[in-house]
Amino acid sequence: MSATTTIIMTAPPSKSTIKLVPAQSHGEASSSQAQNQPPKSQKQMTKAERREQQERQRAAKAATKVAGPQLSGPNQNAAQAKKGAPPAASTSASVKKGGKGPDGKPTKETKETTSDDSARGLRIFSHFGLPKPPGPSKGDIHPAIIRLGLQFSEFKIAGANARCIATLTAFKTVIQDYVTPPNNTLSRHLLTHLSPQITHLVSARPMSVTMGNAIRELKLEISGSDIDLPEQDAKNLLCQKIDDYISERIIIADQVIQETAGTKIKDGDVILTYARSSVVEQVLVGAWDDGKQFSVLVVDSRPMLEGKKLLSVLSAMGIPCTYLLLPSIGSVITEVSTVLVGAHSLHSNGAVFSRAGTALVAMMAKQHSVPVVVCCETYKFAETIQLDSFTKNELAPAGDIFSSFPLTRSKDTLTLNKQPNLEILNPLYDLTPPSSITAVVTEVGVIPPSSISSIPLALGRTTL
Amino acid sequence: MATDPSSVANQRVVETLASRLRRRQVVGSRETALETVLVLRQVISKVRFSNIDQLVEIIRSIGRKLVEAQPKEHTVGNTVRKVLHHIREEYHTASQGTAVVSTSKDTLSIAKFVLQGQPRQQNVPQKTTLNESHGMLKENDADDPDAFARTLKPVLMEAIQDVLDELETVYDNISKNAKDHIHSDEIILTIGKSSTVEAFLKAAAPYRKYTVIVADTAPSYSGHDMAQSLSSAGISTVLVPDSSIYALMSRINKVMLGAHAILANGGMFAITGSLLAATAARAHSTPVVVCAGQFKLTPQWNLYHEYGALDFADPSSVLGFEEGNLVDKVDVVNPFYDYVRPELIDAFITNDGDHPPSSVYRLIKEAYDDEDYEL
Repeated sequence: MSATTTIIMTAPPSKSTIKLVPAQSHGEASSSQAQNQPPKSQKQMTKAERREQQERQRAAKAATKVAGPQLSGPNQNAAQAKKGAPPAASTSASVKKGGKGPDGKPTKETKETTSDDSARGLRIFSHFGLPKPPGPSKGDIHPAIIRLGLQFSEFKIAGANARCIATLTAFKTVIQDYVTPPNNTLSRHLLTHLSPQITHLVSARPMSVTMGNAIRELKLEISGSDIDLPEQDAKNLLCQKIDDYISERIIIADQVIQETAGTKIKDGDVILTYARSSVVEQVLVGAWDDGKQFSVLVVDSRPMLEGKKLLSVLSAMGIPCTYLLLPSIGSVITEVSTVLVGAHSLHSNGAVFSRAGTALVAMMAKQHSVPVVVCCETYKFAETIQLDSFTKNELAPAGDIFSSFPLTRSKDTLTLNKQPNLEILNPLYDLTPPSSITAVVTEVGVIPPSSISSIPLALGRTTL
Repeated sequence: MATDPSSVANQRVVETLASRLRRRQVVGSRETALETVLVLRQVISKVRFSNIDQLVEIIRSIGRKLVEAQPKEHTVGNTVRKVLHHIREEYHTASQGTAVVSTSKDTLSIAKFVLQGQPRQQNVPQKTTLNESHGMLKENDADDPDAFARTLKPVLMEAIQDVLDELETVYDNISKNAKDHIHSDEIILTIGKSSTVEAFLKAAAPYRKYTVIVADTAPSYSGHDMAQSLSSAGISTVLVPDSSIYALMSRINKVMLGAHAILANGGMFAITGSLLAATAARAHSTPVVVCAGQFKLTPQWNLYHEYGALDFADPSSVLGFEEGNLVDKVDVVNPFYDYVRPELIDAFITNDGDHPPSSVYRLIKEAYDDEDYEL
């Protein structure tokens, strides 16, 4: 079936039907064409009519035909029509992130056309939007939550543990300030009260796995709270539970991990760590306090350049440190005895979701037979399996909010903003495959990555 | 050396280039190669010599001086070796008339088979018995010491012009078949700003629609320049930080890198970050292609074990003085080059065709003479 060139000259009423037909058919390209250009010229109309005829033909044929070659027909028409529009329109349409479905889809359909190739590579990340500043709050958002949202969106609080603790602390304030409306029970209404708060936080920055797990526990506690308890007691009990969660699964877990991982550090070791993990920082500080003599290589990278903070803490304690950027790791890896990294979350298949760049560090270490040890509390486990870094990731805001460029290079020579044909992507996370990891240190022991999914069962828990 | 004015002028020219190399006022493989060829041309046009050995010795000493000035710029030595190779070739052609290379006779002989198994010795013709058959060349002529030089110089200048032409047309030759290496809708990863890769990608742009992902390449951030250059040429470009190379690698179809120097074992020195990209590519079975001119072929290969081989650069671009209290407590490492071993590279695209790393040794044998490997 090739594009027919017979022009069907129908009466004007068909023009309106043309507009309707694309809405029904699965050629979304036509809907975008209707969006981008109100049909003006004779040429446009005949193209649309051509397409209408093709769609009729296609509908007549079996549904077993592959979508690709079929779409190329109408897509060519759409492309020719689209070329009239300024290329910026299609670029911006395809590049619009933040889950704009109807714009995102037609560009996927017109993959074969050349007019959208300027944004081809970006569609990989177009399914998660860039963080937007939290808009005017809908409904009753507690001021503590608003403040937290702002801190998240400006990356003043960053890191899985820090965000989780900050969230739970803010929720404690919310719970204490909460008043059950009459004819309602705390256990039911509090959940609905918390939902918009959570949505507000998620709009500031996508929720981390730690926050997700903690909030799930909190909701469980709330719905299980005793109806007969007076309100203040119920609230106090909830706050107590939150404190217990933080203390048990984060603070104490960290201490156990510090001791366990500390035994892996011997005198004379060269430890390499990447970016800044709160757990690894504790491990190193604890080991140094125990009197072990070792040196640390801090590897750092854009976009967040968090390693500098770790560097100041470690060097203030007197630990001999070396600082380098990620590309230089190949030249120092031969001197390293252990690699210690933190994690954002651990998945059932043993993959570690962590700061972007960890995968490279782990890969290089494995190549040179250096053990890679991930320090991670059990509350960071996620039940899901993640196979690549695209399905769930976050992009840092464009521009230089982390001041991560050296002063030796003037800012105007750097490319900080989008330009025609140029896009900037700053993914914040990446996935380290289980093959690159030697062991995971948790508060329940040191386990190989393949055994992660069996931990909750072994502990008798039904959930993590 | 004779203390006549021409040799003094030659020495001055060589000294100028040596000091510029030492102070790194001349950086970059191609620039240093061009400067070296120009200096050699100047020297050869003025120098006086009565036989080929003298000329070779003069050029070699110049080469030694320049290489000593900047051992990290391997193309200086390569260019000197190339010029020497051409000189010897021209000399042989001029003195024998017919080609000197051992021709394969059609008769079968065990000796020939055995000889073929040995590493090929380059033919050094015996000069002692061939005084009569030199034809036009008069070596060591006592009455006319310049006769030899006079007859040989025009040919030599042509040979040097050949070398210069090759250097100047490097980008065009490499990009000739660019569109045959790239298919539509391809996603290519590159790092840093290699002029060779840039020319290659721009040459393919009018024929193919593809996307290029450029990594920042800290701390020089030359990736930004590359991204700007490519995007203004109409190629859709995505600029990403180095940390996301592994994350994106599963969607990348090809990795294109530039080289600083290609070593004789097929490995290469390239800008820091190339090892990361190549290793990540190997982990995903993505092909790694290196675009480099033939002047980057270096006959040595055991260079990467030296500590200074990686040429350390300014640490303040990694940790600057604005981090005042950290500066004296912390060691900062900033190597400029990476050594990428030959197992990680799939192909070298040079101005003389495409070659796998395993045949680099053959290219080196053809380009340079054995005795020049140590200048």
